[in-house]
Amino acid sequence: MTEVYAVGVGMTRFGKYPDRDAFDLGAEASLAAIKDAGIDPRAIDGAYFGHVYQGMNAGQRVTGHIGISGIPVTNVENVCSSGATAIREASLAIRAGEHDVVLAVGLEHLSSKFKGALAPEEGDIEGAVGLTMPGVYAMRARRYLTDFGLTHAQLAMVSVKNKANAAMNPVAMYHKIVSLEEVLASRPIAEPLNLMECSPVSDGAAAVILMSGEKARQLGMGRAVRLAASSLRSGTVESEPSSMTFEPLTRATANAAYEVAGIGPEDVDFAEVHDCFSIAEALRVEGLGLFEQGTYLLAVGRGEANINGRLPINPSGGLLGKGHPLGATGAAQVVEVVRQLRGEAGSRQIDSPSIGVAHCRGGKAAGVEGAACTVQILVR
Amino acid sequence: MTTTSAETSLAGVPPFVPGTLEVGPDGRGHLVGGRCPECAAFYFPARSVCSRCLCGDLERVPLCSSGSLYTYTVIHQSLPQFETPYILGYVDLDDNVRVAGQLVDVEVDSLELGMRLTTQVEPREGADGEQVLWFRFRPAAATEGEE
Repeated sequence: MTEVYAVGVGMTRFGKYPDRDAFDLGAEASLAAIKDAGIDPRAIDGAYFGHVYQGMNAGQRVTGHIGISGIPVTNVENVCSSGATAIREASLAIRAGEHDVVLAVGLEHLSSKFKGALAPEEGDIEGAVGLTMPGVYAMRARRYLTDFGLTHAQLAMVSVKNKANAAMNPVAMYHKIVSLEEVLASRPIAEPLNLMECSPVSDGAAAVILMSGEKARQLGMGRAVRLAASSLRSGTVESEPSSMTFEPLTRATANAAYEVAGIGPEDVDFAEVHDCFSIAEALRVEGLGLFEQGTYLLAVGRGEANINGRLPINPSGGLLGKGHPLGATGAAQVVEVVRQLRGEAGSRQIDSPSIGVAHCRGGKAAGVEGAACTVQILVR
Repeated sequence: MTTTSAETSLAGVPPFVPGTLEVGPDGRGHLVGGRCPECAAFYFPARSVCSRCLCGDLERVPLCSSGSLYTYTVIHQSLPQFETPYILGYVDLDDNVRVAGQLVDVEVDSLELGMRLTTQVEPREGADGEQVLWFRFRPAAATEGEE
């Protein structure tokens, strides 16, 4: 099968950009990725764009900015996994032999759309009764802490860790280290979750240039990182109530990716996971099989998930520290994994990793576990 | 103790989300779900096809009005149409289907996972100022009386 490589990455700093739009941010990220790859932009023969709220033909509005025209441009929406799905679609097009060099971008200008807590899908009954996204995860947190006999302070340490990592990441929204006391004293959003346990409303864009193995060898792409798997699954409709402290959707997506890559969770050196809320990080890494169910917060307490720990989780700062512009998030995770695998992550560099995982999931509707989940495995 | 004196006026009031509530011949409101006639799975909201056995003839049925609290939260930040704070929970109804809804007539400190709750269907002012039917959960003892 055709191998796919990430040969260039770029992203804007995540934050709030009242004077810029998503397309401008997308252009900045795309140009940075093209420059990082060192390729002639005319070599790009396809482009995929992921976003949630940016309207019609968002991708063409970006390519129009940066002198790329005429090539096939595809826009994808898959809630918080939109950027990751754009990368997956780009990789599938390369594997199918349709394209050799593809630009995959995630972009979002969320601050112009929302001020605070996001609701589940429009028209969904859970949104109509007053359930918010923080509310969904707060309820999972309460059940998780109760079932496993853990405390809110143990959970809040996830935010402390991720914000410390973000302070070392130039493209993170937040650069302020916070104490456990500050997290626990931040205002409640949905109990037990406080403000500093919720990912912020953010704007930003991230881009990746993907290339077929043959083309990468031809062009001598020395810093290429292999995209060994890019898997996508949707949640199953529940025919009976199930545990909300474990994620069958994450597990199924991860198993699909591990099989394609020919590895197991024990081979993973580090992971970027979808920590939209503090509790989410525990649910993700346990779903990925990186930690046993109910043990992750204890591991965080022992420092095992720190950048210098046994299995670093979210070295970029994650969504909690780096920010969460929905459509951009999945692409930004891949940007971080590539930078870590190349050894270009500066002061937050993990000690010589060779296998990194990026996990994204999003979407919530009544009676469905989740809408879209992606797991990508990159190998140096 | 609050009682629902509004029950007599429920008939003809449209549900806040189409197809999710209905008023029975006894004048009492119920959540409406889907029941698979083949494998007896319940769904809320109702669906066209059973995801377990792919039977396409799901029946619309009133859901059981009692259940137990799976988990809950107190929401302090929400969309503008909701006055905060309020308690919201996932309730596992006795016909084995999980429903999210607000909780009333209960103090936060007295909430316990597994506690018994009852569905209460009531009128409320909708987005355009007209009356709509919606539902909340309340402690079972408050409507059923102490056992």
